[in-house]
Amino acid sequence: METNDKILKQFFSENKKEIADNGFSHRVVNHLPETVDRSWIVWIFAAIGMAISLYLLLNSTIIEQLLLVFRHISIYYILGAVFCFPLLGTAGYYLSQNKNYQII
Amino acid sequence: MSSTDDIRWVTQVALFGDKNAFDKITCKYQSPIRRFFLNLTVGDGPLSDDLAQETFIKAYLNITSFKGLSGFSTWLYRIAYNVYYDSARAQKKYADINEYEIDNLYQTQNEFSAEKMDIYKALKLLRKEEQTVVLLFYMEDKTHSEIAKIMNCPLGTVKTYILKGKEKLTIYLTKAGYGN
Repeated sequence: METNDKILKQFFSENKKEIADNGFSHRVVNHLPETVDRSWIVWIFAAIGMAISLYLLLNSTIIEQLLLVFRHISIYYILGAVFCFPLLGTAGYYLSQNKNYQII
Repeated sequence: MSSTDDIRWVTQVALFGDKNAFDKITCKYQSPIRRFFLNLTVGDGPLSDDLAQETFIKAYLNITSFKGLSGFSTWLYRIAYNVYYDSARAQKKYADINEYEIDNLYQTQNEFSAEKMDIYKALKLLRKEEQTVVLLFYMEDKTHSEIAKIMNCPLGTVKTYILKGKEKLTIYLTKAGYGN
């Protein structure tokens, strides 16, 4: 039974060929009909999210507490964080996009 | 390209009707879907391309019905399977001849014909359902449960088709001296 399976797997893998695109995808995309734009769903969810955030912000002491925290942090730490953010962000983005990176 | 990419592209297509995202989906899946049709139609290149095109257009139009419960690939094969059987049924309606004649009628020469003669001969020995199951299992590396979802039939039926198909093909291949 296992031998049969082996023979069939070998037979089908030998006959398995990748088919070149040769403009097929382009032809398919050209034949696609226009569909209804549903991007309004995104805007509705964004508006709901903004409204909830605004409500929470105005009905809590988050802003006061943040100001309190900033008053007690040295200006150098804040400047350091401001300058480090784009650096770390760029490095993170680079690493996530190029998965085949090498450290050295 | 992972299944995460699939989900991202599907979301872009479903929400924004993004044709560029759908182009990426088509590029990724055109080869397996066209190969699946090419084998089912025993080497009819133009027909298999037409069926593949119909499959992708149906997928685009019905992309909001993809729930993500199975993989995108399984969902796409399900559409392909339905497209193929609709086409086969339509052909039978207009041509009251046996399947062997239909196969001969639509079999045309293409770049794969010569080298794939063996596989087409072997596939012709099987019933349509057995062909589909065997191709999905051995060539497209789908699992039993994925095939059951694609064909919308019980798992036991899939296993039976595989078993029957395997028996017939093993006899044919052994006689042809394959695997010696």
